[in-house]
Amino acid sequence: MRLVLPQQIRHDYAGFEALTQLHARAKDLFLEEIEIDMGTTVWFDADMCAVFGAILYRLGDNLNTVNLVNIPSGVESLLSKNGFLSHYGRLSIPDSWGTTISYQRFDVTDDRYFSGYIEAEFIPRSEMPEMSKGLLKRCRESIFEIFSNAVLHSRTSMGIFSCGQFFPRQNRLDFTVADLGVGIRQNVSEYLRQDISADQAIVWATEENNTTKGGPVPGRLGLKLLCEFVDLNGGRLQIASDYGYWRRSNRKSSSSQLGHLFPGTVVNLEINTADTHSYILPSESKVDDIF
Amino acid sequence: MQKDTKVSVYEVVGSPLCVASDDGQKVHDRLAVAFGRDRRVALSFLNVSTMTSAFLNAAIGQLYGTFTEDQVRSMLKVEDIEPQDAALLKRVVETAKLYFQDRHRFDQAVREVLEDDDDD
Repeated sequence: MRLVLPQQIRHDYAGFEALTQLHARAKDLFLEEIEIDMGTTVWFDADMCAVFGAILYRLGDNLNTVNLVNIPSGVESLLSKNGFLSHYGRLSIPDSWGTTISYQRFDVTDDRYFSGYIEAEFIPRSEMPEMSKGLLKRCRESIFEIFSNAVLHSRTSMGIFSCGQFFPRQNRLDFTVADLGVGIRQNVSEYLRQDISADQAIVWATEENNTTKGGPVPGRLGLKLLCEFVDLNGGRLQIASDYGYWRRSNRKSSSSQLGHLFPGTVVNLEINTADTHSYILPSESKVDDIF
Repeated sequence: MQKDTKVSVYEVVGSPLCVASDDGQKVHDRLAVAFGRDRRVALSFLNVSTMTSAFLNAAIGQLYGTFTEDQVRSMLKVEDIEPQDAALLKRVVETAKLYFQDRHRFDQAVREVLEDDDDD
């Protein structure tokens, strides 16, 4: 089977639509050869490798052979530098600009490996946009929160995929985590014991004090903290799960339905690296007043 | 008066990165044993650089499911914690208190429904 990727894969609604459409067309194939023609793809947001990689991994799990063909040189160079194409028969090439955050796949038990990966990728270096100490800390913590959410809620056995990119001149950092788990709609529907649409399920999960987590360990805070961070930072948070799409930027949230489902959950974080907030809340820092 | 039992988060986790729920569980288990024996604990965050709500929920938040607020307040103190981490811990504690209040209400509502069903 031959599938064609569109001209642009950006981390936005259209980008999610394009990749979920690809998944919809190939998801039932088994023991097939799948050729993905990228001949017309002139732009590929590097962090969307997490979404693309998750979908291709799922196709590979059905014992399909996936070949990426006709990749334009600019896109091929980018996807080789971040290690994505190493998974599909190409050699990895060094990132001389030092702006990529490599593409990786993790299992849910790989918290330690993920921590090491983020620490290594976020070591301050000249190519990285200059960030305040407080921002860098919040940035790392936010990424860990996203990974923890995938570990705690996805119930995936196929893994968690991540990738990112720095844009020093635009003062921006993009980072995406995708899992091949049950998705937010199933979790929320089971918890509420009623069918709920995928976009409304994401809205529910991002509202204060809502969690599908039961049992002895409380939840409720991870997505809320992420929303607060992007509100203060001026960045953007996007979630795609099942047929649902949700985004938050400029302190406003919106949601809609995707035409095709993503078989799990994607969380995309766009960080404004020129942010100068201190991220220290002195009024809440008294240790005698915590419990 | 007995001295506080000292627990080092860094020592328990073995890393400055306290991000995994499983690692938080290890901290919780030590605290729960000490509290069960009426021992006060000084929990040190020295050399910890990064924490998540998932870690803190497992380490400290879930204590509120077993112990009362007064017990936790009197038995646990934190040391060597950075101000922004203390702010995150406070959020986790506030959320955990609400979570267990709601869970008790939720469990009670389910019990009432089940009892009504039995009566029918």
